[in-house]
Amino acid sequence: MAVNAEVAVGGGARPGPTPAPAVPAAWPLGLGLGAALLLALLGASMTGAVSVQWADWAAWAQAERSGSALVLWELRLPRALLAAAVGAALGLAGALAQGLFRNPLADPGLLGVTSGAVCAVALVLTFFAATAAGLPPAWRPWVLPLAAFGGALAVCFMLDGVARWLMPGSIAGLLLTGLALNALTMAVVGLCTFVADDEQLRSLTFWTLGSLAGASWLVASVLLLALALALWQGARLAQALNALALGESAAAHVGVDVQRLRTRLIVTVALLCGLAVAWCGLIGFIGLMAPHLVRSVVGGDQRAVLPLAALAGALLLLLADTLARTVVIPAEMPVGIITALIGAPVFLLLLRRLALRQGGHA
Amino acid sequence: MNARSDLIGPAAPGAAVPATHGRPLLELRAATVRVPGREFGPFDLRLAAGERVAILGPSGAGKSTLLKLMAGERSAAAGSVWLAGDALDGLPLARIARRRAVLPQSHAVAFGMAVELIVGLGRYAIEPDSQRARIVADALVTAHAAHLVGRRFDTLSGGEQARVQLARVMAQLWDVRDALLLVDEPLAALDPGLQIDLLDAVTDYAGQRGHALVAIVHDINQALVGFDRLWLVQEGCLVGDLPAGRSALPRLAELFGVELQWVGDEQHFAVAVRRRSPAGER
Repeated sequence: MAVNAEVAVGGGARPGPTPAPAVPAAWPLGLGLGAALLLALLGASMTGAVSVQWADWAAWAQAERSGSALVLWELRLPRALLAAAVGAALGLAGALAQGLFRNPLADPGLLGVTSGAVCAVALVLTFFAATAAGLPPAWRPWVLPLAAFGGALAVCFMLDGVARWLMPGSIAGLLLTGLALNALTMAVVGLCTFVADDEQLRSLTFWTLGSLAGASWLVASVLLLALALALWQGARLAQALNALALGESAAAHVGVDVQRLRTRLIVTVALLCGLAVAWCGLIGFIGLMAPHLVRSVVGGDQRAVLPLAALAGALLLLLADTLARTVVIPAEMPVGIITALIGAPVFLLLLRRLALRQGGHA
Repeated sequence: MNARSDLIGPAAPGAAVPATHGRPLLELRAATVRVPGREFGPFDLRLAAGERVAILGPSGAGKSTLLKLMAGERSAAAGSVWLAGDALDGLPLARIARRRAVLPQSHAVAFGMAVELIVGLGRYAIEPDSQRARIVADALVTAHAAHLVGRRFDTLSGGEQARVQLARVMAQLWDVRDALLLVDEPLAALDPGLQIDLLDAVTDYAGQRGHALVAIVHDINQALVGFDRLWLVQEGCLVGDLPAGRSALPRLAELFGVELQWVGDEQHFAVAVRRRSPAGER
């Protein structure tokens, strides 16, 4: 009787069924999205107001680039990479937020997380510009990202707290809380616009409309780094997120530390949204559309949804930005307008589908 | 016969050496739950490995609260809850998950996930888990859900969802002994045939492993057939802790305010429920 109970009960030598692949459709979709993203990166680099030749790609090693090679290497490529990185960040943030709040409608934009970031940026730009200018030059580029992160984090924690306190467990409560926080933060942004001078006003417009025109290699690489970090975190949390889909108490019963999981998710979402907003302003609906598209193909397994939502978000925003750059040459449209024009109808369709499904099961 | 069934064996209660080393599997010491405007308890209860307990009582009496107290979903404002000799408050969740599983009343899952994935989530606390695929498959068979492999959970009917969740909970405690299985109104919404099948499946499963089973039960017949001990809850307090059997009828009749009649012998029986005759009324 000295046999270890776990060995005794579990050690039966019986051939089990071969484990099926976790998500059959995930790999084809991932490969397809990856290939499409590479093609889109290439296409985005080659199209625009200035025509770029294949020969310009050879200029990567030259210290002194000129003409179209300069456009390709200093403008197009960093911008295309930034678009992909921001899109991936927003797609991943959307998927994480939806897992956190257990609802496919929980988009960081709709919930006010990104406008919280914009609000913090607007406050810093309008009221603390002098303080920021007094900082050492090396610190200055990080003031706005830090503010944006702080704003996003504050809204996330408020959402989590207020929505639970108001209407525990209800998605209506969550979305309404998001609505209120959105209105609140936008009112603060409006206040900033009201007191801002002309130059501040121009910057504020950039942030509220959303644009990728501020791209540079530095910004693109910082975002890619943050994205890698968030993807790694997402991979570690994916199975816990799956368990969270069963409900908070059910997740705790299988051994998930739900409070710790929530905090980690909130910080990751805030980091992704904060950085995306800090350099690109408000770009809505990517966080809603990308995970939705992915889930409609592979189902809800977060181990597949998280990386694929990042890929889909990257592709979506890159396409939208290329459109924004090229549709009204020589001017360019803020990309946030395009994503909202496409995203809002998608949101309504999604709402309708959810209503139908719930009606069918009631 | 393979080695496995010999080792598990349908152990008679008390025959196996309990992993709890003589301590009660679950102990409530004057545990009290307070919610705004109401107090439940104090509950003093001891439960040994292998026991099967049905919690009975009128609606709103506090059955769910008592179960939530044991499940750790509500913490005791006073008193304490002990699981296999350890205070519940100080135990890491991953260790609790190897000693206790809870089948919830609601089966809602937020996203459309594959059945095997959901059952596999029962094994979350076990890393690495080389047995996962086999245990998931076996648990699905035991819960009468083998035919649902490959389906998406959100496309299943209510009864099918209940089976999958049951398989998940079974997978969680598949390879341990003397654990605690808490079940919150599991079968209420299912058709009678399925209720009997699943209750039998749970009882066999728990019996083979020495798991104690505590379930909220609404049906008096189910409680008397499938369980060997009854906890009666009324107005937030435990008003009875008695063996399941014919002798429990008067207390049950009093608890629910009905007349009960035993039909049949001690082995094969049914309890008929009738409204109390006018003479019995105040």
